[in-house]
Amino acid sequence: MQEFAKVISTISLSMIITSYLIIELRNLKYSAYVYMIQAMLMCTLFAIFAIDNPGLYYWAATAFITKVVIIPWLLLRYIKKTTDREFQPLIGYLGSIFLISAVVVVLYRVTHTYIGFVAPSQFATAEPFRTNLAVSLSIFFMGLYCILIRRDAIKTVHGLLILENGVHLSLVTLAPALRETALIGIVTDVVIAVWILLYVIYGIYQKFGSTDTLQLRGLRW
Amino acid sequence: MNNEILYLFLTPFIAGIFIFLVGRKSRVVGEALALLGTIVTFVIAFKIFIATTHGEVLTLYSSQLRMDALSGLIAGLVALLGLIASFYSVPYMRREVEVGAIQAERMGTYYGWFMIFLSTMLCATTVNNIILLWVIIEGTTLASIILVGFYWNKDAIEAAYKYAILLTVGITFALFGCVLLYSGASAQITGGGDPLKLTEIAKVAGKMPKSIVLLSVVMLLVGFGTKAGMVPFHTWLPDAHAEAPTPISAMLSGVMIKVGIYALIRTVLIFYPFYPIVSTLVLVFGMLTMVVGVIMMMMQDDLKRFLAFCSVTSIGYILMGLGLANYLGIYGAIFHLLNHSLMKALAFFSVGAVIYSTHHRRVSELGGLGKYMPITAVAFYVAAFALGGIPFFNGFVSEFTLFIAGVKAGFPWATVVAVAVAILNVAIFIHLTYQVFMGEAPENLKSAGIKEVPVMMWGGMLILAFLCLLIGVYPQIVSPILNEATKAVFATIAMP
Repeated sequence: MQEFAKVISTISLSMIITSYLIIELRNLKYSAYVYMIQAMLMCTLFAIFAIDNPGLYYWAATAFITKVVIIPWLLLRYIKKTTDREFQPLIGYLGSIFLISAVVVVLYRVTHTYIGFVAPSQFATAEPFRTNLAVSLSIFFMGLYCILIRRDAIKTVHGLLILENGVHLSLVTLAPALRETALIGIVTDVVIAVWILLYVIYGIYQKFGSTDTLQLRGLRW
Repeated sequence: MNNEILYLFLTPFIAGIFIFLVGRKSRVVGEALALLGTIVTFVIAFKIFIATTHGEVLTLYSSQLRMDALSGLIAGLVALLGLIASFYSVPYMRREVEVGAIQAERMGTYYGWFMIFLSTMLCATTVNNIILLWVIIEGTTLASIILVGFYWNKDAIEAAYKYAILLTVGITFALFGCVLLYSGASAQITGGGDPLKLTEIAKVAGKMPKSIVLLSVVMLLVGFGTKAGMVPFHTWLPDAHAEAPTPISAMLSGVMIKVGIYALIRTVLIFYPFYPIVSTLVLVFGMLTMVVGVIMMMMQDDLKRFLAFCSVTSIGYILMGLGLANYLGIYGAIFHLLNHSLMKALAFFSVGAVIYSTHHRRVSELGGLGKYMPITAVAFYVAAFALGGIPFFNGFVSEFTLFIAGVKAGFPWATVVAVAVAILNVAIFIHLTYQVFMGEAPENLKSAGIKEVPVMMWGGMLILAFLCLLIGVYPQIVSPILNEATKAVFATIAMP
């Protein structure tokens, strides 16, 4: 796996950059396309790791079907039904990029340095698994940031997808022997969750006239 | 007998699929299939309940599916409330169609999702595989989102969105926790054990690195705690419980949040003997949940939101018992879980009956209903006194068990807080009962010709009221069941 270390690092870095773009692009359609690219990068990573662990080829195939094909299709379908302009976020470009960068740098450094805290075995503390875990956690928290800060409901779904990609990516290091059935169960749940969420968001759009979550103030206390 | 595990969750699932296929064309067919499905499911669950609470452990597919006394108890509760809720739904939902709150053609969708929801909750009690447990717990959320937003008005859609997003994000944390547990166990299990099995993970809980344990416990508490309505992750609960159709509110509060507690028991309690900080964390969250719940109860005017916050308080009691980490504490937690399922479902069904007859749900708009709805009034008195923790009602017995457990476990402060919350609870419930059912009815209600609800609604309420009284007066009747369930919890915890 050492011979692919540079490729793995480049793809991992690209996953962080694509997460940035998914969060920061104001056009929801473009965010969905970038999500598709991120999913393809993840499939490529799985395929590279599969050279040593052929079981991961199934993971790459599963991720391709669900994350490169089905989820972007659902996203684009509902964006077409609603609007492709993200509702004005609470924090502007500069503030947001500064905040995410701070979170990512701190998280990446901490995870990379204190990898023993999350790595279950000696094997997981070595490269490229060390970088994989650090990237996974960074992406996970970028997704969480997106969910907490953005007010557009469809962008919140993008945040959820980034969050879930973070967990999915970590499986390479934390659970490489996970059976395909378990993985299929996980991704099926994600696809159904995205579908139902988008259906509800379409309802919000119909009843409230926009996908701004700050309008949802009817139920308090 | 082992095959019954499969029938337990496949029966409502198949019924749900049939309703989607043929029940959407005819409302009566949808209702009939739902009633038939819940009756058969209840019979299967009852058989499993009897077998498991007599010490039998059922397994299937090399123990990937496994049911012990705790699983059997919760499955029994889910099936019982599912049965009562399905009968209750028939007149309740027909009335909603009559008043134009729901379109008639959507009734098939209601019963279809209802059965799938029931199936996922039952399935959650059967799995012994940590990833499948996560998948099914998320499944219970996905199956109920449409039900929460079923009225499809502004408030219902808002509730459904909050419910979906909060529980999905929360459960993603739990996925990280489950993966960490699996990976931590994989490194420790030797000799062909399956690290996906909860029972195998429990065996090596003490060998896993402390950092992995703490990180995964925090993630699991956030994830499954959100599902259970634990403070500060409870914000979805009042909205979802209040805006869903009442039979669904009863299911959410009566059993769905208990499925979150069940997942916590299976994944977090296994670390108690090795890392005492884990139980302290659960105890602190429990006390916080209890206090916030009772404070929020005092601020509610909407009956369903009031009951929702009461559920938060009760989850606090259950978490307190689990956090005490001694036998009596866990016994008390399971006892309160059982009691809360019965009394809270009864309370929601009673409030649903009030809404059915009056079309009002704000306390300030109600009064004097006891004269017009005597059966509903009796059912509500029982539920309120039980939830308030008044002696000779089941809620009192389990709360008292938890008070004693707190002192015995060396946490007298927890008992003091719990007693203070219980006193507030009693006062709040007596006040509420007086406001809604006693005194003079407002003029608009007097002239509205309010009548008692149909037997399909009050029949189930009386069964639940009877059970609440029976357990309150003669708690020994459930002692063997609770002992078996508590032993089942300890049986899966490895000792140092």
